[in-house]
Amino acid sequence: MAAYHPKTVTRPAPLSPSTPLSMSPSKPTGDVRSADLALAERVRSGEGGAFEELYHQHSTRLYNLAYRMAGTASDADDLLQDIFLIAYRKLGSFRGESTLATWLYRLAMNHCLDVLRSRQSRMGQRTESLDEESAMPVVAPGGIGAVSRIDLERAIGTLPTACRAAFVLHDVEGFGHQEVGMILGISEGTSKSQVHKARLRLRAYLTQPRADS
Amino acid sequence: MDCSSSSEAIAEFLDGTLDPAQQRALERHVESCGPCRALVADLKTIQAAAFTLDRQPAPRHVFDAVRTRIAAEPRPSTGGRVLGWPRTRGSWAVLAAAAALVLATTAGIYPLLRSADRHDDEQAAATEGADVVATVQAELQAAEQHYDKAIAGLEQIARSESSALEPQVAAVLQKNLQVIDQAIGESRKALEVQPASTDAQDSLFDAMRSKVALLQQTVELINEMRKGNQAEAGRLIQGLNQ
Repeated sequence: MAAYHPKTVTRPAPLSPSTPLSMSPSKPTGDVRSADLALAERVRSGEGGAFEELYHQHSTRLYNLAYRMAGTASDADDLLQDIFLIAYRKLGSFRGESTLATWLYRLAMNHCLDVLRSRQSRMGQRTESLDEESAMPVVAPGGIGAVSRIDLERAIGTLPTACRAAFVLHDVEGFGHQEVGMILGISEGTSKSQVHKARLRLRAYLTQPRADS
Repeated sequence: MDCSSSSEAIAEFLDGTLDPAQQRALERHVESCGPCRALVADLKTIQAAAFTLDRQPAPRHVFDAVRTRIAAEPRPSTGGRVLGWPRTRGSWAVLAAAAALVLATTAGIYPLLRSADRHDDEQAAATEGADVVATVQAELQAAEQHYDKAIAGLEQIARSESSALEPQVAAVLQKNLQVIDQAIGESRKALEVQPASTDAQDSLFDAMRSKVALLQQTVELINEMRKGNQAEAGRLIQGLNQ
């Protein structure tokens, strides 16, 4: 099973084109497809250990996705439980048209967005659509310098939901724009636009002086 | 290239999809423009930092919780019998898929009942002693109560919220539930005659699990229809079809 590959650090050299970071092909290769379909079938047939295998193959990435979308470990725990329960129920609809990883990401992201929007709605907050424009924060003078993991995680948490979803999938998880579009149900162009907006917002956030720095 | 036209090029540049001619133009602009140079440097730093963010493993207790929840679920259905889902997911498609659901569920349950009839005698002969029968009956009753409770709760939700479904869809689902109820009734009758028949027990619990699953999916479908989410409703119907 080769649905996921470990990340490699590829810090691009200044002013040279970056390497596209796509990690999982939209259309699975024959080996991946048959391995994914075989695993799905083993889970459906109730084979002992098959669901555990599915969980262990995908739980880390889905957990981190849920964590970055929800913002707290407790919410990420709940979301991950729901995601695997929904996946189990819907496994019959997996046809191998994408990798199992992409199928799970789509399902996971749909659930995360539903929960976040429902929460925002309950709290009376305005929810934005994936195509909606909103004001870009002002960038403070001076570059951002080095970025700590904590600052970046915090900054990601401030992004509007749609921007955050596209950014996490593309820049953190390494999906290509075509696949991000497929997972979020948006066009490739919208994915590019959302990711770029997210980067600009993160830059604006990271240039602001912070009380704890 | 100027600052206003460089923004899109910078995004493409960061993604590695800028063509060579545009890249040269961008590089020339950036060499002479401090703000754009700073922008490119910052965005590249963010991009690289994002890609190297840690991944924490999911806590062990989450898997335990998932496993517990899944143990209470009916086994997911196989995908071989699913009908193709049309690109246009209008209400006609929902109706067509829902109609096929009746056939799928009927086909799934009746063979179990026929199988139960065939093997009742063999199973009864294999079961020894009144104590064993009493124990099995007690377990059966406990399991039935468990399912009856779940079914009652789900039926209440489905009944009270059924107005969200189109009448034709609700009628088809209702008919489907009647098919399952018939299977439950026949399994119970078979068990009255042969209480120790494991095939009859399996048939009863398969039928009950089917009913719980159908009611759960009906409630999910109602939720999606209420939200106006035709695509998700379509997917649910597709799932119901399997």
